[in-house]
Amino acid sequence: MAIMMPAADQAVLDRRGEIVTALRAIVPGEGVIDSAAEMQVYESDGLTAYRQPPMVVVLPDTTEQVSQVLKYCFEQGIKVVPRGSGTSLSGGALPLSDGVLLGLGKFKRIREIDFDNRVVVTEPGVTNLAISQAVAHAGFYYAPDPSSQIACSIGGNVAENSGGVHCLKYGMTTNNVLGCEIVLMSGEILRIGGKAAENSGYDLMGIITGSEGLLGVITEITVRILQKPETARALMVGFAEVEAAGECVARIIGAGIIPGGMEMMDKPAIHAAEAFVHAGYPLDVDALLIIELDGPGVEVDELIKRVETIAQGCGSTTCQISTSEAERNLFWAGRKAAFPAVGRISPDYLCMDGTIPRGALPKALARIRDLSEKYQLGVANVFHAGDGNLHPLILYDANKPGEIERAEAFGADILRACVEFGGVLTGEHGVGIEKRDLMPEMFSEVDLNQQQRLKCAFDSQGLLNPGKVFPTLHRCAELGRVHVHGGKLAFPDIPRF
Amino acid sequence: MDTLKVRDAKDVEEVVRAAIASEQPLEVIGHGTRRAIGHPMATNAVLDVSDLNAVTAYEPNELIITVQAGVPLADVQSLIDSKNQQFAFEPMNTSVLLGTSGNGTIGGMIGAGLAGPRRIRAGGARDHLLGAHAVSGFGDSFKTGGRVVKNVTGYDLCKLLAGSWGTLAVMTEVTLKVMPKPESERTLMLSGLDDVTANKAMTAALGSPYDVSGAAHLPNSAFRSATGALAGLAAQGPAVTLLRLEGIAASVADRATSLARTLAPFGSVEMLQDTASAAAWGAIRDVEPFAAGGALGNWPVWRIVCPPAAGGALGQAMARETGGDVIYDWGGGLIWAALPPKSDAQAALVRQRVEAAGGHAALIRAPEETRRKVAVFHPQAGGVAALSQRVRHSFDPKIILNRGRMLLIAAT
Repeated sequence: MAIMMPAADQAVLDRRGEIVTALRAIVPGEGVIDSAAEMQVYESDGLTAYRQPPMVVVLPDTTEQVSQVLKYCFEQGIKVVPRGSGTSLSGGALPLSDGVLLGLGKFKRIREIDFDNRVVVTEPGVTNLAISQAVAHAGFYYAPDPSSQIACSIGGNVAENSGGVHCLKYGMTTNNVLGCEIVLMSGEILRIGGKAAENSGYDLMGIITGSEGLLGVITEITVRILQKPETARALMVGFAEVEAAGECVARIIGAGIIPGGMEMMDKPAIHAAEAFVHAGYPLDVDALLIIELDGPGVEVDELIKRVETIAQGCGSTTCQISTSEAERNLFWAGRKAAFPAVGRISPDYLCMDGTIPRGALPKALARIRDLSEKYQLGVANVFHAGDGNLHPLILYDANKPGEIERAEAFGADILRACVEFGGVLTGEHGVGIEKRDLMPEMFSEVDLNQQQRLKCAFDSQGLLNPGKVFPTLHRCAELGRVHVHGGKLAFPDIPRF
Repeated sequence: MDTLKVRDAKDVEEVVRAAIASEQPLEVIGHGTRRAIGHPMATNAVLDVSDLNAVTAYEPNELIITVQAGVPLADVQSLIDSKNQQFAFEPMNTSVLLGTSGNGTIGGMIGAGLAGPRRIRAGGARDHLLGAHAVSGFGDSFKTGGRVVKNVTGYDLCKLLAGSWGTLAVMTEVTLKVMPKPESERTLMLSGLDDVTANKAMTAALGSPYDVSGAAHLPNSAFRSATGALAGLAAQGPAVTLLRLEGIAASVADRATSLARTLAPFGSVEMLQDTASAAAWGAIRDVEPFAAGGALGNWPVWRIVCPPAAGGALGQAMARETGGDVIYDWGGGLIWAALPPKSDAQAALVRQRVEAAGGHAALIRAPEETRRKVAVFHPQAGGVAALSQRVRHSFDPKIILNRGRMLLIAAT
């Protein structure tokens, strides 16, 4: 393992039997799992290169149980790692050998559907897709749509601030959640926000969203739902050069058009996807754009025309426009299956997740090509082109000595390039353990200290999901110290009035 | 009282550090247009960021603009307007309500986080702040977020800065999302509905697939002192309910027809076209019926945010019980209430009703003596209040910045 996790606390491990007994007193029956065989399913999440069995797994099914488990761990100084469906691609739910793995899988109930206020109140273990399905009969849906939406839980979506293909137009999780019930590490149960558009006071919901399970354990969520657009149609546009496709993306946005989704694939990704799903992708192009417009029929028809004209102006070599739902879905089938498709051409792959300014797309692709040469590893690129979110898939074979290390170094270089081009380390997958040690590429120690101080406000002992997000851990007392510079109110230089 | 006019982030650090050393809390201002919102502050010096007024970078194709915190909002708005772009959350111009001049700075806009009618569709200030450089109450410059929309790298401190009224950190530079302006707009207007029925009409419209970007109701009383855009509407009937559609012309026309059908049970609709529509929504955004210069100019004004479908009944009951006037935005989810002057602004009654409906209320306009004794921002439940204070301390442990603005300091 290249990433070091916090050292296990032997004193805690020595008390494992006693801890299991105490947890059983809180969560009876099968809710506490301590056999090595049964705990195996929990030893990794979507970042499968990293595995670590937890000390014990607890699966509570009430908020009160979550509260008691956390309170017990808080009082006993035991670390806790929360977990939803375990689909994190950044290792956010990787267990700790001396930690309790707190699974929210039993929180599976949608508590309330309120069409008048256009919200759903749900437990965190409900899958993203299940929310949309529960309101589909009335024409509503929940907008953020991560690729893993069949499996990923809404609680995990909040923890990671998940995105998806449609977040260009409809926003990420943070733009679509209104409130939650959260249990702090101390066991305290709080309600933040609700069905109103805004919270009072500081926007605590905003800071909890995307906090990667480091601030609290969410036991209920209120999400906004939207009416489904009347129609959606897609264009599939091929370009002989990646630069032309990048220019097309910039011009569409520049023309004031915000498509429902705008995705790009490069040649290796196109070929892998086509071989897998036979979507009819052109194989003689270097870049393929899938652009979806949604809204009323007349609007979609008009925007399709405008986008087609822009694409032609950028030198598109092929352009297909969907004329039926079946055809639109076919266009998407290859893109949606891009990850498993790449899985068929390579024994293993690493999926990266940097974001860059849209205008830097060609530059970033050129850099990725150079790095591919340097590291002697193949790469297939799929992007949420509309918002500059790159997903380079680095191909490697874990059975060949040294390849995973090379793949990780390649990935790190891509993310450094994203920051260099004015972007960020992660657009939607989260920092977790995967990008933790790259945080200093983007943030200074002062920046990171401020973030960790905020964590202290929620978790004063640093027991909740430690070892994720922050490369260096500091004690709260140390972070909270105010350094007094000088001792007089003198700003010799600054004009006074 | 000293006013310290800073020229760069280093100056801000120096002032905050000196303030920590001498235990002198600072009031942070740009143009000072929103100073009268919140409790009178327990501060001894003013940190003025209005000279931090450079536009760092405007990249229309990236849909972002990076500016220093002291840039006048009006300047930025006209700059992005020149590229046919806008802040989609329609920041409110508080000068109409407060009687101040000008629309303040970008920093003030974010610190206040007061979004207009399009919040129901496009989100609030918090959804458009992508990144920030700021100086904390530790006297340290830090940055958060970035210059791209899609970013989950580290905690999203931008969310906390928006709407924090300058109590967490002094923003020095921010990156904001800008959006293309719609090509056309049209407003459907229903007349004569009572508040509860109007709420139902707005709920029906917002539950339709027609992408409504504004849903407001003005009871008849709102026209008592109406001037400008709203005076024209008053001729239409005793009360008006407005529903806005925006987008390309063909789409707006198509949706207008469909929406009119959806609204048929509530009566026939009249249409306001582009200019008239824009003027009406500007007046609603800035709460013109309760303008400082109007007939209700000296009435305290509450800003109530509640579950949208609860708004009509809540506003109607409150108006009846207090003798006040209300207007509704956000499909009922935002109520502006002007109440007859009383020294406590009828806070207990307002908050009791609002809490029962699942909302919260802030006293946006009131005389200083009222703001000395009534909680301006909605008091939070014990655990959330304590957490909010710990959050505050994590940025500003000595409570140097805007001390006393958000929390009522109990008289001792």
